[in-house]
Amino acid sequence: MKEEFKIAWRNLWRNRRRTIITSASVFFAVFFAVIMRSYQLGTYDHMINNLIESFTGYIQVQHVKYQDNPLIDNSFDYNDSLASAISEIDKVVSVTPHLESFTLASSGTQTKGAAVIAIDPVMERNFSDPESKLVKYRITDEAVTRLKHAGAIPDNVLEKVKKNLGRSFSSSARLELELGLADEDNENCMPEILKCTEVSNGFLTANDEGILVSDRLASYLKVAIGDSVILMGQGYHGVSATGIFPVRGIIKIPSPEIDNKLIMMTIPAAQKFYDAEGKITSLVVNLTGKSDRVLKTVKAKINILLPDNNTVAKTWYELNPILYQQIQGDSQSGQAMLGLLYFIIFFGIFGTVLMMVSERKREFGVLVAIGMQKKKLKRIVTIEMIFLGAIGLVCGLLASIPLILYFYFYPIVLKGDLANMMEDWGWDAIMPTAWFGPYFYWQAVIVAFMVVLATLYPLRKIGKMKEIEALKG
Amino acid sequence: MKVLELKNVNKIYNSDEVKVHAVNDVTLDFAEAEFAAIVGPSGSGKTTLLNLIGGLDMPTSGEIIITGTNLSKLKSSQLIDFRLNNIGFVFQSYNLIPVLTAKENVEFIMTLQKWPQKERDERTFELLNAVGLGDRIDSRPSKLSGGQQQRVAVARALASRPKFVLADEPTANLDSKAATTLLEIMEKLNHEEKITFIFSTHDPRVVKMAHRVITLEDGKVVSDVKLE
Ligand SMILES: Nc1ncnc2c1ncn2[C@@H]1O[C@H](COP(=O)(O)OP(=O)(O)O)[C@@H](O)[C@H]1O
Repeated sequence: MKEEFKIAWRNLWRNRRRTIITSASVFFAVFFAVIMRSYQLGTYDHMINNLIESFTGYIQVQHVKYQDNPLIDNSFDYNDSLASAISEIDKVVSVTPHLESFTLASSGTQTKGAAVIAIDPVMERNFSDPESKLVKYRITDEAVTRLKHAGAIPDNVLEKVKKNLGRSFSSSARLELELGLADEDNENCMPEILKCTEVSNGFLTANDEGILVSDRLASYLKVAIGDSVILMGQGYHGVSATGIFPVRGIIKIPSPEIDNKLIMMTIPAAQKFYDAEGKITSLVVNLTGKSDRVLKTVKAKINILLPDNNTVAKTWYELNPILYQQIQGDSQSGQAMLGLLYFIIFFGIFGTVLMMVSERKREFGVLVAIGMQKKKLKRIVTIEMIFLGAIGLVCGLLASIPLILYFYFYPIVLKGDLANMMEDWGWDAIMPTAWFGPYFYWQAVIVAFMVVLATLYPLRKIGKMKEIEALKG
Repeated sequence: MKVLELKNVNKIYNSDEVKVHAVNDVTLDFAEAEFAAIVGPSGSGKTTLLNLIGGLDMPTSGEIIITGTNLSKLKSSQLIDFRLNNIGFVFQSYNLIPVLTAKENVEFIMTLQKWPQKERDERTFELLNAVGLGDRIDSRPSKLSGGQQQRVAVARALASRPKFVLADEPTANLDSKAATTLLEIMEKLNHEEKITFIFSTHDPRVVKMAHRVITLEDGKVVSDVKLE
C-alpha cells in the first residue's frame, strides 16, 4: 500500500497546475457551501429562537378554533394537573400558561393595535424570561449629551453612538454588538457609555395590575414607566373590556414586528380585564430538541393527555405557517444554488479525470504489461482521486472553521438599508452562523460522492483495457 | 534447456474484411542465455510475434510454452502475474514510470514481487552500475537522455531475473552511439546474468552484434542463423 500511496501522490503533482485548479475549485465550493449554509441555518435558528422560544414555543395547546379565530371566546380552563402531566413528558423543558389577545392601546392622542400576552411572572422565567428583556440601556439625546460632558470619549465613538440614537438595549452585550466599536475603544469607552445610557426599569409582581410595554410600542404611544395606557378590547362572550393600566416596565424584543405591538400583563389581571375567570388561550410547551421527530412524538404524547376534543396540540410550524414557509423556501433556494455549484464542480473534476486517463493510457498499458495487476492500478488511480477531492475538501472545511466560530460568537449586525429591509420583514437584523452540524459533514459526503462518481470512469477504462492497444498510445 | 517454445503459431487479423496473416505458422525455440535478433522489413510481423511471446496478445492458433507453461491456458490475471515473474520488457519509447526515479523504476518489479528492501537495494545498485548509471540513481526519467532512459529500462527488465527479456526495436529512438552502447550493455548482461534476450530491429549495426538472427517475411520465418 505504501508504494501505491507514493505513486498516487506523485502522480497527483505531475500536472501541478491542473491539480491545483481542481483542488481549488473543490476548496471554494466546499468553503462557500459551508459558510452559506451556516449563515442560512444560523439565521433561521436565530429567528426561531426569537419567535418560537420567546413567544409561540415549540408546541402549544390551544382551543381547536383559536388559531383561525383568536378570540377570548376560544379559550379554555387552566388545569394545573394537565400542565404538570405535560411537563413530565421526555424532552419537555417547561409548560407555561398564556392568555393572549388583541386590544387597542392608547395614550394621549396615540392609539395602536397591540398584542396582549398575559403571563405568570414566575413561571414565565422558565420560558421567555421577560425580565431579561427589560430595557437597561437607551441612547437618548440626554445620554449623548451626558456622554459628551463626561469627556474622554473620542469623536468617532460619539458618532457611532449617535447613529444608534433612539435605540434601546436589554443587555450590555447587545449594546456592544450593535455599536461595533474597535476593541480598544470598546475597552476604554464602554464603561462610560453604559453609565450614561443606563435606565431604570421595573417588572411585574405575581398579581400585578400593571403592564410591560415593548420598546417600540412605548415610543409610539409616548409612554414611560409610571404612565398609564388605556386598553380596549373584546372580552369573554362579547363583553367589552376596557381598563387603564400603569406601565411598570419597558421590554426590548429582538423581533421588530413583535417589538411594535407587545403588551404583557399578569394572567389574573388579564382574566379580570377580559372577564374570563380561570381561562387561558394556550399552554406553551418548550423542548430541548427541535428536530421534527421530537416535535411529532411530543405532540402525539400531549394529544393523548388532553381531556377533550376542544383542545389540541400544535407544533411551531403549524402555528407560524408563514415563517415556516419562508424558512423552507429560503433554505430550498439556497440548496438549489449549492446543488448547481457542486454540479459545475463535478464537471471540473470529471474533466480532470478525462484528461488524466487519455494522457496516461499508454502508461497504464506499460504498467499492466510489465506485471502490475489491474486491481493494483485501479487502487492507485482511486487513491489519486481521493487525494484530489480530499485536499480541497479538507482545506475548505478547515478554512471555514475559524469564520464559523468567529461569526457564531460575533454575529454580523446588518446596518442601514439591509437592516431596515430585514426589520420590515419582521426579522432581527442579526446574522449569526450556525454551530457545526450535519450541514458541515454533508459537504464531505457530497464531495466523496462526486469523487466516487468521477472515479468510475477510469476504473472502467482500466478494467476494459487491452494491453497492446494501450501500448500503442 | 529450452526457455521458450513456439509451435505452429499463427496470428490472423480480420480487420475491415481484409485478412492479415501477421504471423504465419512460426515454430521456434530459444535456449537459456541466447542473444537473438528478429529482423525483417516493416510489416513483416516482428512486433506481433514479440507481443505473442510476451503474452500481451493471444495467437489465433498454435502454442507458446514458456518453461513448461502454455500461455493460452492462463486466465488474464494469471497472465499478468506470469509476465511479472518470467518476462522482462523493454519498449521502443522507454516507457519508464515518469514519477519514479531511476532507482525506483528498477526496483518497481521487485516491489511488485514483494522482495525485501535490502535485496532490492543491492540488486538495483548492481544493475544501475552495470548499465553505467550508478551516479544517476535519484534522477527522474525526464532528467535523463533517451539512451540513459533505455538503459534504465534494460535494468528494470532484468531486475527480477526473468526467463527472458523482450525488446521491440529498443534502439529505434536512439542515435547510433547510444544504440551501440545499449547493445554492448545488453550483451554484457546477457553474458553475466545468463538471461535470454530477444529483440527486434532493422538497424544493421545492431543485427551485427546478435548471436542469432531470425528473419521474418510476411509473417514467416525465412531464415534462422546462429553466429558465434
Ligand atoms: N491490430 C491489428 N489489426 C490489424 N492488422 C494488424 C494489427 N497489428 C498489426 N497488423 C498488421 O500485421 C502485420 C504485421 O505488423 P507488425 O507486427 O507491426 O510488423 P513489424 O513490427 O514487423 O513492422 C502488418 O501488416 C500490420 O498491418
